[in-house]
Amino acid sequence: MKDIFIDIDYSQIYKNGQKIGGDVFLQKRNPERNQIVAVLSDGLGSGVKANVLASLTANMAKKLSFSPMDLKHSAKIIMDTLPVCKERKISYSTFSIADIRYNSLNSNIQVNFLEYDNPRALYFRNSNNIEWVGDVNVLNRAKAFKKEEIIHNVFNLKVGDRLIIFSDGITQAGMGISKLLGWRLSGVKEFVSKVLENNPSISSRALTKTIVNKALNLDGFASKDDITCCCIYIRKPRRTLIVTGPPFLSESDNLLCQKINEFSGKKIISGGTTALIVSRILNKKVRVDLSSYSKEVPPLSIMEGMDLVTEGMLTLSKVVYTLEKKVPMNELLNDAVKRYIELILDSDQVHFIVGTKINEAHQDPSIPVDIGIRRTLIARLRRAIEDNYLKETSIEYI
Amino acid sequence: MSKKVNIKICVGTSCFVQGGADLLLYNDFIDPEIIEKCEVEGTSCFNACKSSGKEGAPFVMINDIIYGDMTPVKLKKIVTEAFYARNK
Repeated sequence: MKDIFIDIDYSQIYKNGQKIGGDVFLQKRNPERNQIVAVLSDGLGSGVKANVLASLTANMAKKLSFSPMDLKHSAKIIMDTLPVCKERKISYSTFSIADIRYNSLNSNIQVNFLEYDNPRALYFRNSNNIEWVGDVNVLNRAKAFKKEEIIHNVFNLKVGDRLIIFSDGITQAGMGISKLLGWRLSGVKEFVSKVLENNPSISSRALTKTIVNKALNLDGFASKDDITCCCIYIRKPRRTLIVTGPPFLSESDNLLCQKINEFSGKKIISGGTTALIVSRILNKKVRVDLSSYSKEVPPLSIMEGMDLVTEGMLTLSKVVYTLEKKVPMNELLNDAVKRYIELILDSDQVHFIVGTKINEAHQDPSIPVDIGIRRTLIARLRRAIEDNYLKETSIEYI
Repeated sequence: MSKKVNIKICVGTSCFVQGGADLLLYNDFIDPEIIEKCEVEGTSCFNACKSSGKEGAPFVMINDIIYGDMTPVKLKKIVTEAFYARNK
């Protein structure tokens, strides 16, 4: 598994009264070529027209970034292609393209970053802002109606670095309402450093949400423009271990416990018998917490050193069903399944240790529900969290 | 000083799906005065399902004796008897 995780997320609020946004953010991962492209584009005007322009720009930028073409040349093509606005007689949309490439070990993350007319992106190392310049290229297009300057940067990102890209809805927030000239870049910078100082490991999702909400607040809760912010954050992955099923040979019980002890991250034990084995070998007591009662799944247990201990197959089936159907968290009962899903969604990498011993009690034909086969269930769980939630998973059998 | 009755309800998969879930609602069918003086715990598998031939799930252990084929009615009866046996 990789030692570095690239966390990219964004938040957006449309202009007050609009049902469609003029800012478009797109990201695409290409794991085979170790490349991630993130694009933010702001179209001229607002509403449908702006959305068409921005979507066109963002999609072209995304496609062209995966081609071997030089980014600056791609920018020229994009600008030549955009349709001309009927009223203003110009074709215009801004964009920022971050083309991130890493080698297979996931160290040495290189960003090829291109900005055109968006507010300058902010670069933070931990909570310190890093000033940066970049080479300015004037495009000199034949159809240009103004001086077109593209700012190009190539740099390496390290663990703890954040690149925050936003549209002018953020920098101009509150203009004429709470602030004479709007929030401005300096204001955003100050705000972000303060947030990062208080919460150094804040996720991209939470950080962008905070920034966007602050901008909306400055606008008097009626946004004057589309407000969009996205963040690229390089961090150590959050890991979770899921242990389910007793080992095939009872001699491997010690090995299993050793693996659990050595793992750094959150630990889930899924299975009553498995919990008993771990409890016996590590000499830790398991206590069933009857307060987490639900009609569908047995209550969870509490064991020192483990983040969650649950019953096996019934809980797993419900977890798999919930993740496959993407059931929202607020619809879940407050039981073992909810705790399970919270832990999975909070991590970037999930490692499974699956015991292959068959439970004789489950072979009873009089059992009223279909209990299923552990390995099939785990395969479905892996697919659900990889496809629906873009997490990395790995598995070993014992 | 009354002695407490110790009740352990199996919450393993097999017991849970075959009626154990209903037993966890013990507050609804056992006399509140009695349940107050009982110590109720959930527990994982006793391995009773594999060893005992005659009785089936769900299993409940009351004062260290394992009872199978448990239903709310049967549980109420045994717990009440155990309570009065200890608190004559």
